[in-house]
Amino acid sequence: MRRRIGLGAAAIAAIAIVALAALLALAPPGEGSASAPDPEARALQLERQLLCPKCTNLRLDQCELQVCHDMRREIRDQLAAGANNDDVLLFFSSRFGDRVLADLPRSGFNLVLFGWVGGSIVLVALGGGMTLWRLRRSARPLAAAGASSEVDERWLDEQLDAGAGGEGGA
Amino acid sequence: MNLTATIGAAAVLTALAAALFTLGAALAASLRGRPELLPAARRALPVAAGFTTLALATLAYALLNDDFSLSHVAQVSSSEMLPHMKWAALYSGQPGSLLFWTWLLSLFLAAFALITVPRIPWGSAAALAISGGVLAAFLLPVAFLASPFEVSPVTPEDGVGLNPLLVDRSMLVHPPFMLAGLVSTSVPFALGAAALLSGRIDGRWLRSVRHWALLSWLLLSIGNLLGAFWAYTTLGWGGYWGWDPVENSAILPLLPMTAFVHSMMVQERRGMLKLWNLALVLAAFALAVFGTFNVRSGLVASVHSFAVSDVGPYFLALLGLTLLGSVVLLALRSGRLQAGHDFESLASRESSLIVNNYLFTVIALIVLGGTLFPVFSELLQDARITVSAPFYNDVVGPLLVVLLVLMAIGTVLPWRRASRVTLLRRFRGPVAVALLSLALLVTLGVRDRYALAGLIAAIVLLYVTLREFALGARALRAASGRHWPAAVLALFERDRRRYGGYLVHLGLAVMAIAAVSSSVYQQQTRALVAPGESFEIGRYTVEYIGLRERTDLANGIESEVVSLLRVEDGGEFVAVLEPGRRFFPNFPGQPLTKVDIETGLREDLYVFLQGWDSEGVAEISAFVNPLMIWLWIGAGVYIAGGLVVFAPVQAPAPQRRELPASGAAGPVAGA
Repeated sequence: MRRRIGLGAAAIAAIAIVALAALLALAPPGEGSASAPDPEARALQLERQLLCPKCTNLRLDQCELQVCHDMRREIRDQLAAGANNDDVLLFFSSRFGDRVLADLPRSGFNLVLFGWVGGSIVLVALGGGMTLWRLRRSARPLAAAGASSEVDERWLDEQLDAGAGGEGGA
Repeated sequence: MNLTATIGAAAVLTALAAALFTLGAALAASLRGRPELLPAARRALPVAAGFTTLALATLAYALLNDDFSLSHVAQVSSSEMLPHMKWAALYSGQPGSLLFWTWLLSLFLAAFALITVPRIPWGSAAALAISGGVLAAFLLPVAFLASPFEVSPVTPEDGVGLNPLLVDRSMLVHPPFMLAGLVSTSVPFALGAAALLSGRIDGRWLRSVRHWALLSWLLLSIGNLLGAFWAYTTLGWGGYWGWDPVENSAILPLLPMTAFVHSMMVQERRGMLKLWNLALVLAAFALAVFGTFNVRSGLVASVHSFAVSDVGPYFLALLGLTLLGSVVLLALRSGRLQAGHDFESLASRESSLIVNNYLFTVIALIVLGGTLFPVFSELLQDARITVSAPFYNDVVGPLLVVLLVLMAIGTVLPWRRASRVTLLRRFRGPVAVALLSLALLVTLGVRDRYALAGLIAAIVLLYVTLREFALGARALRAASGRHWPAAVLALFERDRRRYGGYLVHLGLAVMAIAAVSSSVYQQQTRALVAPGESFEIGRYTVEYIGLRERTDLANGIESEVVSLLRVEDGGEFVAVLEPGRRFFPNFPGQPLTKVDIETGLREDLYVFLQGWDSEGVAEISAFVNPLMIWLWIGAGVYIAGGLVVFAPVQAPAPQRRELPASGAAGPVAGA
């Protein structure tokens, strides 16, 4: 009985994970990253992908400096002339440098930062994984539960059983 | 002689002397075997707090009386400013904020000396030496590098006034909470360092640090949330968190402190993570010092930063000393910290809390790296790279979703171990909710994969947390016949830490739903409109009526130009919004945007005036931010939960017997 329930749990979990993964993979990107057909929407989207060349860390759509007004007008002019989004971004990055791109280019010296991100994740995952592995190896069942928290845990399971019609299989 | 300046400067120097006395007496007590010096060392900290209070009161007096002979008063205040805004001037600018910071630090350390130090005979000398040293380290720059009591060679007729960005009601509360949160990390640091110095690294320091750590976590949380609220209502870009370098500095100490308030439970219950817990409190304080250095050095430019000044190198040295001392202490004592533990199984709550700690560590490392990267790129490449919000959203966003999932898993898993039967019993509900919410969200048209993942994780967290409340309240009702509200309230009396923590998670789940919705499904438009013309955004029609100018304003505001916008929804009147721009004669290049927001349970209509021409044609930016109010409601629930956890327990918890007593052979025991 216990084995059947364990297999059932694994099956539900597997179906859930596969369904989630499939739907997440098949779902088209959201509005934020879509290539919007409306020129004004595209212009606004591009403004959010660019930074003010004079301020620090201020998006183009937020900045009120004259240079940003001019850049916003330039975006609309270029879109009206048939440029695509990449052309517009390339135009501004070649004029002001990569510092106007809100999305940090994954190239050149910037790879150091992405390496730092990857390194941090790998290092903590390896260190953490090793710690958990060691803990698991040295794990030992303790004496019978007596602490109040364990009483609570048993009680929670009973409540869950009561909520589900008392089908607990323990 | 300027009496105000003399009293203020003398008070700072006396406080410094008292802090140095604490340091010296505690060291003498410890190193020369003179324990009779400890009571005096302890009493010197409240004395220091008294003198920093006198110094702050002196500066407040100078601000209220427009004493522009003090350079700092002349730089941050003016005779036009209302008294309540002079409170904000008290902690603005480099010298004022440093004095305010040091005053708060002295209050925390005085409370620590009075309340906790007498209860830690195992480490009182070390704790006092650390406290005295930390306070002296922060008083030194106030006394010698950035004194708010410096007298101007020539007294101006009027002051410059407060920076326009700070002329806002949020500034009356956000900085005090933020600074209090940052300085509060000093007490857990002092206790952790004292435990390491004295070699008493067992559970005793942990019992002493619990409330201080919770207070620090709560203050840091409130400070950051108030900062987000200020950014949303004042900065005028339609959002609330921009991953600005100084915002990053403010959230960095919160990450290890949040990890610590979770991992200390693991040490309390299972005797694990002893070294890790010490490292976390040391890291939180080091990151608070880093934040101080970052804001005050001009290292990374930000809307929050003070100008480049002499205190930058000083705080860099202090940061280096803190890091070096922490690493050396941890290395010296690490051998003693490999003691046994009570770990039983990976399928346990302690495992999920350990993984939660790993995630907080990774997030802190990424945020720190992103904050410092522009400095390294300038040093090594001679080109300042901007690391802005998209980087953090791409990298940290998915980790935050994983954190939500872990919070849900941690809530469901029992301590110690769980059998497969227990796992199935506890997880079938959450898995079903995840699948149902996925189907529902897709049916509703949600297609963005990040939105789907974040919303499902938040909904599952909401479900498992509410289930804990419902089950607990149901059992109490069955046992005592209480009504539902009374039963829920009784849960908090029964176990404040547990149910207060669940309340925090509930708030976070609501905040996550609001954050995902408002960022992924935000609508934005910009319109050039002449008076009488309209534009559309979302379901709203916005008619631009015209411009209006006001000049009867205080706080150094010369004039305010507002655009009158009549908002309709499907032909029905909603509101008249008045976004505008404020002008400050003393800050000619820094007009302040005044946003206006129509808030509803479903969404916010957020508008600001971007510009206008001589014909009265206005450029209006408008956003529709779905579910925004729920972010603030969730924040309120989060803070309420934090207060429940922090509140001292008045009476012993009722006997567990109150619960149904059956189930002695429950699944945990039988696993």
